[in-house]
Amino acid sequence: MPTIAAFVMASFTVPERIGVDPQSMVWLLPLVAAIAIVYKATKVPRIKAAPFIREVVVLFGSIVVFMVVTALVLYALAWLVTE
Amino acid sequence: MARRSRESHIMFLLIVGLAGWLVPGGGHAVIRKKRHAIVIFATIVVMFAIGLYIGSIGVVNPAGAKPWYLAQILNSPAVAALGHVATSGDYAVYGRPSEIGQIYTSIAGLLNLLCIVNAVYLAHVHGTAPVGD
Repeated sequence: MPTIAAFVMASFTVPERIGVDPQSMVWLLPLVAAIAIVYKATKVPRIKAAPFIREVVVLFGSIVVFMVVTALVLYALAWLVTE
Repeated sequence: MARRSRESHIMFLLIVGLAGWLVPGGGHAVIRKKRHAIVIFATIVVMFAIGLYIGSIGVVNPAGAKPWYLAQILNSPAVAALGHVATSGDYAVYGRPSEIGQIYTSIAGLLNLLCIVNAVYLAHVHGTAPVGD
């Protein structure tokens, strides 16, 4: 048990290795999921599993699609300016 | 009589807000929205834990990253104790892990603020009294 506790403590005292690469953007997804869950939890009057999950998934998808579109527009603008 | 009930209503709203700050989802638990409370608690705690896992407890830095700390402390007053531990030890963190860890922990705090405001608003609108009143 003390070994497990020490392992858990060590996990939170040493930072993970995350490079500055496109893959690091994947860390965006859990953040968006959490935002969608909490936002929907404050909006719906009653939480029932199926409708709640559906609403969260729709909001999650909307945010991700909007961010991808924004990234593509910014990329296109940058390409036009630099070319 | 009317003044006393108004005072007790304000006190109740303060209790709801304080409960939401002490424990994420606590405000919703006080107004008997247990499912909301469980979802909010689980999501915010997991989000905060992911932030600490990525960047270590060094991301809670009341001295060197005050704006981030102001958002982080909205999670719970327990974050202040974590900040004390982090500043007294050697938990320096830089680069991408620091950024991502701070973003996760700070957004968890801001989401908790949203939940506190929502719980206080619901308590005001519905006037739900806590169990025992």
